[in-house]
Amino acid sequence: MKLTRRQLAAAISGAAIAQAQTPQPSAAPPDELEAARGRLKANSDLLAQQDVPAATEPAFRFQA
Amino acid sequence: MAAIPSDVYFNTISELSARLKAKEFKAEDLAHAFAERLAQLGPRYNALALPLTQEARRKGKAVDQDIKNDRWRSPLQGIPYGAKDLLAYKGQPTTWGAKPYAGQVFDFNATVIDKLDAAGAALTGKLAMVELAGGGGYRFASASLTGPGLNPWDRTRWSGGSSSGPAAAVAAGLVTFALGSETSGSIVTPASYCGVTGLRPTYGLVSRHGAMALSWTLDKIGPMARSAEDCGRILQAIAGGDGKDPGSAGTSFYYAPQYARPLKELKVGYAPVDFADRAEESARPAFQAALSALKETGVTLVETKLPPFPYGPILSTILAAEQASNFEQLINSGKVDQLIDAVQIAGLKASLELPARDYLKAVRLRRLIQEEFRKLFTQVDVLLAPGRPGPASKLEQALDRAGFQPPAGTPPGLQGIIQAGNLAGLPALVLPCGLADSLPVALQVVGAPFTENLLLGIGREFQTRTDWHKRRPPEL
Repeated sequence: MKLTRRQLAAAISGAAIAQAQTPQPSAAPPDELEAARGRLKANSDLLAQQDVPAATEPAFRFQA
Repeated sequence: MAAIPSDVYFNTISELSARLKAKEFKAEDLAHAFAERLAQLGPRYNALALPLTQEARRKGKAVDQDIKNDRWRSPLQGIPYGAKDLLAYKGQPTTWGAKPYAGQVFDFNATVIDKLDAAGAALTGKLAMVELAGGGGYRFASASLTGPGLNPWDRTRWSGGSSSGPAAAVAAGLVTFALGSETSGSIVTPASYCGVTGLRPTYGLVSRHGAMALSWTLDKIGPMARSAEDCGRILQAIAGGDGKDPGSAGTSFYYAPQYARPLKELKVGYAPVDFADRAEESARPAFQAALSALKETGVTLVETKLPPFPYGPILSTILAAEQASNFEQLINSGKVDQLIDAVQIAGLKASLELPARDYLKAVRLRRLIQEEFRKLFTQVDVLLAPGRPGPASKLEQALDRAGFQPPAGTPPGLQGIIQAGNLAGLPALVLPCGLADSLPVALQVVGAPFTENLLLGIGREFQTRTDWHKRRPPEL
């Protein structure tokens, strides 16, 4: 398909406007992901220090 | 439409109900006036997710027919309300405050919506919330499809989250009451910041069928309103067993604070440091005055401590594991990147990697926490603490960074009571108790499971002696 220069310019500017109007995804940067993993690890380390009697069952309910 | 007097917007449920019974105005006109006000002023506080003006008018018309036939269904008949946008409403978008779900439509109503419909209440709109109720954590108040929740007392301050819209809408007189939800602080925080009365019910008392699942073992739905009395009436309408909610306790609730134990017999556990060094300086006079007002009710204040557990890490671990399962598809599809807050995105992604041993350790520790709280409630009847240590934070404040910090070496007080209360499934009542920097601050009263009438009795008495729950934001 052949486009005139005017048609090409219109298509490009339309695409640019559409792109500008679409909110860009704010993907978490790698350091945020590492920080989140670090928080889970810190929680895990704290939980590991807690003694739980062997007879303690998890506090969730299952009804048959 | 007939003119509606402007004082209705800050009426309590019983006041509005009396005016409807006296036929001072029609329910249809009342519902329409409230719906228009919500549609007009809701965006001013980023509190509105979806206006339901036509639906509200239809409901009002049906109520008028009931009134004409002298049929009274409940004290909520004809009362306008709003619902947090994580509750399904048939045929209309339910966004969960998040872009990936902006077009989501359910073909059924949440159980609580159906219950309020049966009681005759008029839903005037869906209310804004933090995206996905903030389960992954979030850095800024802007973490919402509708923008940052703005506090009606000062729009440069946050309304609190994740039930930001419900709290702001009640505070601004846009609805008479609202339904919010709490997994860890999502009713207590916005109710405290916006100066409204909020009730987090016992886990399992109110059905969550049709509500977004963030954490099956932590999620609760509860009312935000103008008084403890109103919260009691709403809870009576929405509580009860539901076979569609596997977490349902199968228990009803009848609001009857008159049958609760006399206040003179009650022991209220508290830590004085929570009202002094652990509170922001500007809030201390209000908290001290509130303590004095509470003492005048005849209760005995007893110094107490929380059982020593790392509540925050335990709750975060359970929440991370359950939300990872709930949002696995969102995360794996990459649509999670459409969320607004980078901390939320990262938190959700990381939660998929949580080891099973951590989750199981956390839910076993939770069992011990429940046992310790059972013992604690043999020594005191309720626990008392500030809702938050100070007034609403500034909008630009990073929420994942430490805010107010007490001096080093300050005793812990009842620090962690929000996480502890949620882990143990305990009810909590938030009572506005004063102003700090011209912004509301509040108390929270926490009880043993299914002691809502006791909490509401304390709240009702406190609110006969104070008028903080009646105060309005300056511009309203």
